[in-house]
Amino acid sequence: MNASDKSLEQRARALYLEAGRRLDPTTAGRLRAARRSALASAQAPVRHRVRALLPAGALAAVALVALMAWQPLQRDSASSPAADAVLTSATPTAADSELPPDADGPDDPTLYQNLDFYGWLAATGRDQTTPAH
Amino acid sequence: MNSLAPAFDDAEWLERERQAVPATLDAFLAQVERRAFRVAEMHLGHREDALDAVQDAMLRLVKHYRDKPAAEWTPLFWGILRRRVVDLQRRRKVRSIMVGWLGGGRDDNGDELPAWEPADSGPGPLDRLRDAQSYADMAAAVKRLPQRQREAFMLRVLEGLDVAETAQAMGCSEGSVKTHLSRAMHSLRDQLEDWR
Repeated sequence: MNASDKSLEQRARALYLEAGRRLDPTTAGRLRAARRSALASAQAPVRHRVRALLPAGALAAVALVALMAWQPLQRDSASSPAADAVLTSATPTAADSELPPDADGPDDPTLYQNLDFYGWLAATGRDQTTPAH
Repeated sequence: MNSLAPAFDDAEWLERERQAVPATLDAFLAQVERRAFRVAEMHLGHREDALDAVQDAMLRLVKHYRDKPAAEWTPLFWGILRRRVVDLQRRRKVRSIMVGWLGGGRDDNGDELPAWEPADSGPGPLDRLRDAQSYADMAAAVKRLPQRQREAFMLRVLEGLDVAETAQAMGCSEGSVKTHLSRAMHSLRDQLEDWR
């Protein structure tokens, strides 16, 4: 490094340090306040965490109480006539039978494929049960 | 011309200050905050943004690195501040592009509107400097440097970090620091010719 570089560096650094020292009071005050608030944020992390967890805890407690209150109601209503009516209405109706048979259900499509055989079986059975004149 | 002929050797003073590692984070930040503001101001050219950057850097240092050994605070702090400055510069660029797309920047007659960010109305810190013009000249010259050269010059020359600390703060190798600094010095020599 030559002498002119050295002198440029020294002068630049002197100006920079002087500019830092002679900062206007407003800016210096704001920097001080920023520093204090940064340090304060580190000193109270637990309190912050507790404060953040409070709403979540309250919500969980409310949900638990609601669940506990709802379950007995559900049991009571399940044994009432109204519930019976609901259960009855849940059984298949005539309208349901118009739907195509469910492959996994009791209306197995193979039943329809073997319909001729079942027809013959029924007819044979009827003949056998008919008394001879 | 140089009214700032130091009553003491600034380099020596800075070195002494850096070697006396502060015992607390509070003391470290108190020591560095004003210079950090000047650095951010030179990078960003805007007081409020510079204050934001320094505030954020302090907050992050305290939040994430307060348990680190005190000797590591210096490069960590300057590294955080550097990244914050880059973030703000990018955000400002995006904002100016958006303003351009949305037809901002010009009024109905096609005349240019005032800058997106209002100029600082408070008394400029430069007014308070004895050698304000020299500082302004230097700040302007430094601002014209490419980003990485500017960072190397500020950290290595102005702030007096050693090469390893500068490399850590800049997130690059020590060789890159030397290259950037050499180019920065070359450019500043040309720009600040009347300082000789």
